[in-house]
Amino acid sequence: MSETNGFEPKIVAYVCNWCTYLGADLAGTNRLEYPPNVRLIRLPCTGRIDFNLIVKAFEMSADAVLVSGCHPGDCHYTAGNYHARRRWMLFRPLLEALGFDLRRIHFTWISAAEGRKFQQVIAEITESARKLGPYRPYEANGESKWRPAGLPPPKRRSGDDASLRTTARELLAEGKAGVVIGRGERGPVLARKPEDADRLTWNGASKIALTAYLKRKEVRALGKPAIVAGPADLRALNVLEQESQIRREDIHVIAAEGPGAAPPDFSDLDALLQLEPGERMAYWAGEFDRCVKCYACRQACPLCYCERCIVDKNRPQAIDTSAHARGNFAWHITRAFHLAGRCVGCGACTRACPAGIDLRLLNQAAARAAERQFGYRAGADPKAEPLVGVYSLTDKEEFIG
Amino acid sequence: MSRIITEAGLRELAEAWLRDGQAVAGPSEVKLGLIQYRPITAAARLLFDGFVHPANSIKEFFFPRHEPLYRYRLEGSRVVLEDCEPPAVKQLVFARPCDAAALPVLDHVFNWDCADEFYNRRREATTVVTLACSRYDDECFCTSVGLGPAAEQGADAVLFALGGGAFEVRPTTAKGDAAFADRTEESDRTATPFAGPPRRVALPRVEFDSPVWEDATLECLGCGACAYTCPTCHCFDIVDEGNAAGGMRAKNWDSCQFSLFTLHASGHNPRHAQPRRQRQRIYHKFHIYPEKFGPILCTGCGNCARQCPAGLGVLNVLKAIEASHAEHLPA
Repeated sequence: MSETNGFEPKIVAYVCNWCTYLGADLAGTNRLEYPPNVRLIRLPCTGRIDFNLIVKAFEMSADAVLVSGCHPGDCHYTAGNYHARRRWMLFRPLLEALGFDLRRIHFTWISAAEGRKFQQVIAEITESARKLGPYRPYEANGESKWRPAGLPPPKRRSGDDASLRTTARELLAEGKAGVVIGRGERGPVLARKPEDADRLTWNGASKIALTAYLKRKEVRALGKPAIVAGPADLRALNVLEQESQIRREDIHVIAAEGPGAAPPDFSDLDALLQLEPGERMAYWAGEFDRCVKCYACRQACPLCYCERCIVDKNRPQAIDTSAHARGNFAWHITRAFHLAGRCVGCGACTRACPAGIDLRLLNQAAARAAERQFGYRAGADPKAEPLVGVYSLTDKEEFIG
Repeated sequence: MSRIITEAGLRELAEAWLRDGQAVAGPSEVKLGLIQYRPITAAARLLFDGFVHPANSIKEFFFPRHEPLYRYRLEGSRVVLEDCEPPAVKQLVFARPCDAAALPVLDHVFNWDCADEFYNRRREATTVVTLACSRYDDECFCTSVGLGPAAEQGADAVLFALGGGAFEVRPTTAKGDAAFADRTEESDRTATPFAGPPRRVALPRVEFDSPVWEDATLECLGCGACAYTCPTCHCFDIVDEGNAAGGMRAKNWDSCQFSLFTLHASGHNPRHAQPRRQRQRIYHKFHIYPEKFGPILCTGCGNCARQCPAGLGVLNVLKAIEASHAEHLPA
């Protein structure tokens, strides 16, 4: 190792089997020297590189991470790298909002013929990581005094309660719906008998998204659901339809307004991004310190519908279940990224959190990237292709070396 | 005659503990509108008034959400085990009576088939000072479970607000006495008793096979907000975390409301639907636990209802059970 003041950065490189890995091989056979600080991990395709691996590398004391694959047009599987590129376009803003130092995360395209480029990239990354110094994951540098303004109170719905109750009562009495999912004075109401309809009101309390009930087995067993939907619920229904989770004709929708076309309010996110990355990380470290992993955020979310959540999978355990800093960061990063391009901004995660963590900000980081980079707003159009399911040849790649 | 202390005196007490390198915890405002029990580093952050109940419970200071039990690391071909110890410092915890009352209840389960050293040592090292309530909200139901706004169970000393920033101190244990030694003044002012919330429900007989479970709890979404903010819920999971070089075995909170809580390796789940998990929660609190240990597993703090995203909570389920019995009883 080269002579330095003792610090040698550890760099983890996730590389595609068909291009960059062969590029590294070529560098070796050509006797091109590069710093030994890099640990290469060969994967079939950049399209198969889970962002969790990037997080994991930092957790396991990497000082920088490189993800590298085939040049556009060169993918062994035709389009894996395009899919990867689109995901990174959403992942980077999320890490930025969390206060990660993006100078430690590198994306490159290196072909099998580019042994020299591989040599240069590794040399550059090693040098930059050496200058940045050792990385301590999720280390909060002091305490952040910053506080978001928070969610605005829910808007009043304009619907009329009497006609809502009549509609619900008729649907239940005539057997057209097995359950009417709505709001009551205390919280959500699952009306199953005609007389239950009297408990429904347009402006009842609910910390959750009513559409979250559509994923519940117990609720699905009741027969065709009718849902009293506000604008965010309508957007959630659109996403569920896009993702083939529901068929619209299987759900009776009672709505007084449309899904809403006003742009989301990103002012808290803007304020967060005004902070130095270190303070952003300190802010989140302080917030996540209160997270007890009750998963109210997940349960209250209409779009967290996985039968078995990744955090509950333990072969292997991708995310630590413990409610310590590492486990909490990994969990919230994962959840936010799984909602990238899908979150409809209903705010249920934030309202449901018993520890008052403003999780919405993380979802907004990805949502705004979706708006800015792709002109895409989740839930606006049920016929649109899901953002992360497709790619475009013109996706931006100015951050890819 | 009574012993009184001023609010400034209480803060001095907390400050003295902090100066000695001991830990202090109590209600503090973590952000606008959110009060939680938190470890504090400055006595000024302690709140004594202006709220009904913090959004969590004090169990965290005895039974943390995550507690390493031991660590391992590989040295060559040898596995080295390293014991973990709970912190050796003493703790001073300011609490509501309903939180403190959970401690003698929890003592049973943590000293039943084996003595949980982590819990017991924390318990020994902690002095709990409660402030008797002088207000309540719609979710409070301590008086329905045999407690009240000045319940002494689990407290080492009980404070009563006298108004004007003064508190009457009634130590109930030697630890409580020691904490307030030389810090109080003699006075002839004594606190006026406060009745607390009205009795909201008569503890109903809990029926296992009853349609009430589905009727009253279908709205439950299966998160752990109730269990994790409950002063008495104590289920935990043992997990191993680490890699080939080293790691730890830890005790983490768990909740019977999670669908995986009872999932068998075979794929069978005896509590396959949310109402069954709710039934377990209520049943455990009011039937299983008392049958095994005596006391019921609920202090009526109301956190389950305050924190439930779906507006449920123990009190509401109990009320529904009560109503369903009335329905089913012959006229």
